[in-house]
Amino acid sequence: MTGGSNIGERHYPAQHPLNDPPKPGPSPALNRRGLLQAGARGLGLLGFGAAAGWLGARESKSDTRWQINPDLCIQCGRCATACVLQVSAVKCTHSYGVCGYCKLCTGYFEPEPINLDEGAENQLCPTGAIKREFIEDPYYEYSIIKELCIGCGKCVKGCNMFGNGSLYLQVNHDLCVNCDSCAIARECPALAFVKVPATRPYLLRGKGAAGK
Amino acid sequence: MSDEPPNNPSPADPTQLDRARRSLLRAAAWGGGIAGIGGLVGLSANRLARRTPAREAATPALGREFTYDVERFQTSDPALLRFVETARFPAGLERARNLTAGPDGSIWVVGTGGIRKFSAAGELTLAIPLDRPVYALALRASGEILAGQAGQISVLDAKGGVLTVWSDLPAGLLPTSIAIAGPHILVADAGNRVVLKLDATGNKTGVIGARDPDRNLRGFVVPSPYFCVRMASDGLLRVTNPGEHQIESYTLDGDLEAAWGTGSFAVAGFCGCCNPVSFDIFPDGSFVTCEKGLPRVKLYDSAGGFTGLVAGPEAFPEYLQAANAGTPHSLGSGIYAAIDPAGRVLVLDVVGGTVRIMQRKEPKP
Repeated sequence: MTGGSNIGERHYPAQHPLNDPPKPGPSPALNRRGLLQAGARGLGLLGFGAAAGWLGARESKSDTRWQINPDLCIQCGRCATACVLQVSAVKCTHSYGVCGYCKLCTGYFEPEPINLDEGAENQLCPTGAIKREFIEDPYYEYSIIKELCIGCGKCVKGCNMFGNGSLYLQVNHDLCVNCDSCAIARECPALAFVKVPATRPYLLRGKGAAGK
Repeated sequence: MSDEPPNNPSPADPTQLDRARRSLLRAAAWGGGIAGIGGLVGLSANRLARRTPAREAATPALGREFTYDVERFQTSDPALLRFVETARFPAGLERARNLTAGPDGSIWVVGTGGIRKFSAAGELTLAIPLDRPVYALALRASGEILAGQAGQISVLDAKGGVLTVWSDLPAGLLPTSIAIAGPHILVADAGNRVVLKLDATGNKTGVIGARDPDRNLRGFVVPSPYFCVRMASDGLLRVTNPGEHQIESYTLDGDLEAAWGTGSFAVAGFCGCCNPVSFDIFPDGSFVTCEKGLPRVKLYDSAGGFTGLVAGPEAFPEYLQAANAGTPHSLGSGIYAAIDPAGRVLVLDVVGGTVRIMQRKEPKP
């Protein structure tokens, strides 16, 4: 039967490779090329994966910040000495909403002050980094002078021991170089340094926190 | 016979090429796996290195001038001790917050978890579980229990059944102490820094201690939730003014009659920013007081003169350990005292979660 065809039978042009009879084996040139292509593809994928991983890691680094969990901090003083900065990026932070506005603030005054006033001999902070302002009898407000604070935590200890814990240490991210290899975190004996999201880089107590 | 050596297959051999490709893929898979494992090990090591602290003791990294040091106040002169501990037992609450002595010698402890009643010997006789923490308790002559909770006062029968709840009280109510004076119920409200005066049915009939310069009332300074009221046998209320380091005397009409106490870390004074946190009154009008920060239970005569110690700071090692470690205080760190009908001082150590029974060492002069 000429000109006829079975249903489903496909016809290709005479020169179509699929009409060629099967060859006895792959040609050496084609196989070598295929091998090289496969290798190149593999390497490309590997490179892509490595780049993606590296970029991903870099992204995760920029997504987090080191911060001090105030509930774990033991005020050992290492924040003042271990930071790579000349003056530590760790500063005292004051949550006014937690503060009792005490006349005898144990974060501001020496344990046995001579007088309850701003005299240097009465102040606990060795660098004079806490400012005391009269609000109304008998309340005073205490604020941190960041430029003077070295992050020693002496005032924090006094506040935690006798007061409400409204003074606590925090890494100030406007000062921190964010190297992600925090030297203080390595030294912290209380494991108080934790990673927090960069979008919420502070671990503040109560409401109305300030001083950061 | 081929010219090529037999172990050097022809590149045209599809089987050999397929084998080579498989070998390559296998090698790549192994390599990738090993590299991946290496990466994971490196990552873990890096994380561990970050999180492994310098394990040397947490000694201060700075000199003395940068170290908060109150160690010299954390021991007391044994010659000042007037009481000796004769027994102690666990309060058995998730967090104990206050205690009261009953007229029959019973010991009542309240806190998170409810109310627990103990015999004078410390055996549990009644447990009243309550969902909301109880901050204060008072016992009526009828046997009814007044339990102070945030925003309300619950009235319970002697077995712990709820009779009624007084909730129509000032917003922000935090009743940290309750005293009963005849028909009056006096509630130390640490939330609003006043003493509320209620009638027998819980209706507010007055406020004591609100700032009023015209009446020479400077107001209560209550920086943290420790605020205590007691009725003395002389007919005057005694109320702590912790921010002023004083105990003040008021008439039931709210007139300030007297005050005593000074702020000092020395044993005769009240230490820290806000002390005393609680007190009770002996039948002769003398006082037992409790301080936080430096955990001290002390004795004062009726005029406020220091007469000795019930327990010094060294009697509360767990408390001192927590304080020295720098962990934050506040609600969890109070010390409470109550005087039972036998003249014993019952001390609630909140940090240790125990009740101590303290007996006088010598007849009172």
